[in-house]
Parts: sequence; structure tokens; C-alpha cells
Amino acid sequence: MIPQLRSELLKLRTTRGSLTLLASMVVLVVFIVLLHSFALSAATLRVAANQPKVFGWGTSIGALFAALLGALSVTAEIRSGTILPTALVTPNRSLLIAAKSAATALAGLLVGLLAEGLVAATASAAFAARGIPVEITTGGFAQMLAGGAVAASLWAVLGTGIGAIVRNQVGAVAGLCVWLLLIETLLIGQVPAFGKFMPGSTAGALAGMLQSADSSKLVAPAQGAALLFAYTAVAAGAGALATERRDLG
Amino acid sequence: MPSNEATSVPQLGPASGDYEPVVEVRGLTKRYGDHLAVDRLSFSLARGTITGFVGPNGAGKTTTMRLLLGLARPSAGEALVFGSPYRALERPASRVGAVLESSDFDLGRSGRNHLRCLARAMSIGDDRVDDLLELVGVADAANRPVRGYSLGMRQRLGLATALLGNPDLLVLDEPANGLDAAGVHWLRTSLRHLASNGKTVLVSSHLLAELSQTVDGVVIIDRGRLLAQRHIGELDGAPGALERYYLDLIAKEPT
Repeated sequence: MIPQLRSELLKLRTTRGSLTLLASMVVLVVFIVLLHSFALSAATLRVAANQPKVFGWGTSIGALFAALLGALSVTAEIRSGTILPTALVTPNRSLLIAAKSAATALAGLLVGLLAEGLVAATASAAFAARGIPVEITTGGFAQMLAGGAVAASLWAVLGTGIGAIVRNQVGAVAGLCVWLLLIETLLIGQVPAFGKFMPGSTAGALAGMLQSADSSKLVAPAQGAALLFAYTAVAAGAGALATERRDLG
Repeated sequence: MPSNEATSVPQLGPASGDYEPVVEVRGLTKRYGDHLAVDRLSFSLARGTITGFVGPNGAGKTTTMRLLLGLARPSAGEALVFGSPYRALERPASRVGAVLESSDFDLGRSGRNHLRCLARAMSIGDDRVDDLLELVGVADAANRPVRGYSLGMRQRLGLATALLGNPDLLVLDEPANGLDAAGVHWLRTSLRHLASNGKTVLVSSHLLAELSQTVDGVVIIDRGRLLAQRHIGELDGAPGALERYYLDLIAKEPT
């Protein structure tokens, strides 16, 4: 699998879509964090339990963009037709999806780290500007960075699986956005007893915070990691199976 | 098995009993819903020959090539390369090279990058990539995005893709499409050179006059069925013989 992995990593690094995606993420993170840092009242933000409303965005946005990167690694090849020469070189399609998953898992780790780091820096600066003390401990920040990076890495693989199942680029991208930003937010907000087990909320559990929920509503980090890993394995497995069985082009 | 009498024509190439066909298609069938794209198609190709694959638009040529390359699964029958299904080959891209469409590129990536990504997966070094870019004549444009390539340049880059693994069999879907006169001449020379080195080529085209200058034989299909497999020497040597033969065959088909 090493040759396939090297090929996929080169594709990720040199595809214009990946770079555009990263740039969009940076802009979006800064925009959302500044918006929430300055729109929420100082009284609200001084309460430690409310600070994830700002600091928790990195988890969701990191997971989302990692997932999009994963999905695009499949759908962009289908859309452009390069999936044909790719499949001619690697006709073992499970191996191909495995290589794409491994490559996007690595990329997802960096995406998650970047998103969480950017949120931590931007939000801390905004809080300082408003004279609001940050109540997150060093340990909290460490979990946010490490957990958020792992969560994004798993979400990247989940996205790869979704891309392989859905195949249509617009469908996969729209589906991931709607699920993570809309449906999961509704679930954890309205039915937290159920919503906390969903893949987006388990990412929050890993990072220790989520913008859409009190940290007390999330499952324990280890349980979140196990659940998210299970979701990811199912999606990647289904994606490999779908790619094995279907005709290409 | 197909009762089509055309399937009983002699095979191309040497008549010795012990040769193994490089390509063997037997009773190949592909159904999309109610539509039979390929219908009990059988033919075989001998080593070192160039075979033209001809038929009207929608005859099933591209589908047959996709089945042969393991990109799609047959509804019935089998398509073998070097005696086994494509997906069962060890390092298939070093046995078979293919160009299916001139559009199978990520337009934002450069020609060199396109080749490098595939070369990585085949454990082939970047120096081979540079050699091929030189060979097919797109070295000057190698670092530019494929978006800016003409159709002819994309065909050349496609051929470089197919040649990456130095394969023994080439499957080319309309490689002359979009080439200028010099390009067509270059393609003909390249294919003849490859065949003289023992490579086998299956090439689809609508340019029958050009094809008859290049190929050793033709496989003619219509509506997914084999109409004829002929050695070019079986046709009279007059200019336009292949075209006349082809048009006669197609005209006899019930509509």
C-alpha cells in the first residue's frame, strides 16, 4: 500500500481543491470566532461553561473541512475522470480506498490541528481585547488541540467513505455540511441524550468542547473516540465495498 | 454461445497452435437496464499485432474496452488479458496501458504532475515521467495545467500515461481524435514501432483510411455484436478497401 499512499499524498498536496479548501477554512474560522467573540455579551462569555460557544467551533469546522477533503479525494477523481487511470494502476479498489483513507487521515490531523490552533489564538486575542479572562486550563487547551486533531483525522476518513458511497461531488459536500452544521446541532440541542452519540458530537467529546453544547452533555473522551472510530470504520468499509461492486465511468 | 457466424472467422496472427492470445473476449455481454451495450461478443488478439476496433457511434467499443480493463463488470461472458481478468493481474499497468478518453485529466494539475501521481502508485521514478513527456512531445508544456492543453496535446499525454509501465498491450480509444496531420503521422509511426517490438495494440477509430495504413487487422462491431474480424490482407489492396468493406457490412445490418 506504500506506493498507493505516496500517490495519494502527492495528489492531496498538489490538487488545487485542497489548497482552496484550507484557505476557505482559515477565513471561515477567523470570521466565526470573531463574530461570536464580539456578538455574545461579556456577561455570557465570562461564565466558564459558555466559553465553548466560541472555543468549541474549531472542533466542528476542523471535522467538517477534514471530511470535505476526504470526500473530495474520491469525488473529484470521479468528476474529472482521473479515477479511470487511477483504477487501472490500482485495480484493487479496497486497497485504493484504504490508501485514500490513510492519506486523508494524515491530512485531517493537520487540518484539525490548524483549525483548533487558529480558534485558540483568535478567540484568546478577541477575549483579551474585550478584557474577558479565558477560563480554559492548559489541560483543556491540550485536549482541544490533540483531541480536535484526532477527531478531524477520523472525520477525514469518514468523509472519504461518504465520498465513495455518494460519488456525486455536490451531493457529498452538501450532505456533510448539512449533517455537521445543521442536523447535529439540532440533535445535540433538542435531544442531547441521543445527539451526544452522533459522530459530530463525539468529535466534541474528543476535543472536550463543542460550540453547540455544554461540555457536561458530551460523552467521555474515550467513549467518544471509540464511537467515532466505529462510525469511521463503517463508512470506510461501506465506501470500499461500494467501490468494489460498482462500475467506474 | 453466440451463433453469429462471424465469430467463426480465423484468428489474426500466427496460426501456430501453441500461442496464447493476448486478449481473449468470449461471449462478452453488458446490459444497462434494457439496453444491451455489448451482446455475446467474442474475438481474440495475437501478440505483436495492431488491431483496429471499428463500428458506428454507440456500437459498444468503449464499453468493451472498459470491460476488458476491469473498470466495469460483464453481465455475462468474460474478457481476459494475458489469460486472466484485468483485476486479477499482478502489477496490471506494467502489462496493459490504456487511454480511454482524452478528458480523463484533472484540468488544474500539470501534465507532469498527472504522470507523477500515477507513477508513484506504480513505484516508477520521476525520470521515467520526464522521458515519456519528451517522447510524446509535451515536455515544453509539462509544467502547465492540462486546462491549457489542446486536444492533441491531451492525446499525447494520454499515450504517455498508457506507456508509463512499459506495457505489452495497449488499449486506445480513439487516440487520433483531435490530432493534427503531423500528430496522426506520429501516432501511426509510434504504434508501428511498438508493434515491431512485440507490443499488441487494440485501437478504436472512425478514421478508416488512416486505420488501414496502420493496422494488421480489424474487429468490426455494431450494436454490441461482432460483425467481422478480418486480417487487412484479406481485403483487396485498393485504396478505400476497408471503408468499402465496412460500409457494406453496416448496410447489410437490419435497422
